[in-house]
Amino acid sequence: MKALWSDMSDQLDQQKKLTNDIIIKMTQEKYSNKFRTLANYETFGAIVCFAILIFLLLNFHKLDTWYLLTCGIITMAFMIIFPVLTLRYLRKIKQFDIINKNYKEVLVGFHKAKTNLLNLQKAGVFASFIVIFTSAAVFAKIFNDKDFFMIERGVKEYVFLAFTLVFVFFFSRWGYKAYQRIANSAESVLKELE
Amino acid sequence: MQKEEAFVALIKQNEGLIFKITTMYTDHRADQQDLYQDIVYQLWKSFDSFRSESKISTWMYRIALNTALTRIRKKKRLGNSVSIDQVILKQTENYDQHFEERLKIVYAQVRKLNVVEKGLIFLFLEGKKYVEIAEITGLTPTNVGTKISRIKQKLKQQIIKK
Repeated sequence: MKALWSDMSDQLDQQKKLTNDIIIKMTQEKYSNKFRTLANYETFGAIVCFAILIFLLLNFHKLDTWYLLTCGIITMAFMIIFPVLTLRYLRKIKQFDIINKNYKEVLVGFHKAKTNLLNLQKAGVFASFIVIFTSAAVFAKIFNDKDFFMIERGVKEYVFLAFTLVFVFFFSRWGYKAYQRIANSAESVLKELE
Repeated sequence: MQKEEAFVALIKQNEGLIFKITTMYTDHRADQQDLYQDIVYQLWKSFDSFRSESKISTWMYRIALNTALTRIRKKKRLGNSVSIDQVILKQTENYDQHFEERLKIVYAQVRKLNVVEKGLIFLFLEGKKYVEIAEITGLTPTNVGTKISRIKQKLKQQIIKK
């Protein structure tokens, strides 16, 4: 295997593909950040959350009972805490020092940062389970001036509510398991380095 | 300008090394190209720090492997993705289909290893001594030796199973 690898290295050394121009282009920032795509995606999400937050703040006076106020506060807290923390962790991952650290340090640091982000996303999955109801109550009041908890519901509405609950439950469980799988694999890599 | 020229010469001299790392850490051509560009960019960013260091190979391997580690994102590409089906260009004089097939098997088996194992076996195959591997990876030479013999066993079993 080592001999094969060495033969390959020799052949690769013969097949020069890069020109000066290509190399210079690669040194420019625009090529650098693959992670930027992810950050952009998350930034877009954060902007949406902040827009909702401003909208809620402007309409906060319409929430006229203690439970609607509580729902409003929970929804707003969710709209601030999760995007801010997600962006913070992403920034940490993006700015990870790979120049001055060795392979082990990078692996440990990078996996820890990733685990933090995953834990936050796991928490987000469960929080969204609650926020789906608090936000429904808040928006029902703001848009239709209706008290979500006092509305008279027929069988149709209850069936719909049950379906939503079941859907959110399975979706959350699926999301949690997916994050857990990634976290477990990160954990096993860290253990191997101990 | 002098710095740019020196950097270009260095990359040209070591393009095979970057190519090998990107082939090992990615499954698709587009990911490979992205990683390649990223490694060159990171090398450029840290070029000044290398100029004050003594060993160029240690610096290059460290930055290239670290970049590969932090830029891997498992994603399932759909549609236009092109899998990495060729290691040696057909244009080279010594192109040998059989040799290419054997290389593909080696890469396929190495890709099955986890990130720690991948980095270690790569440095080993590159002919690095345990002490140098230890310097690049931050593990102790003894630990490197133990892990590499375990990886060899694992690769052997993988190949036998295949």
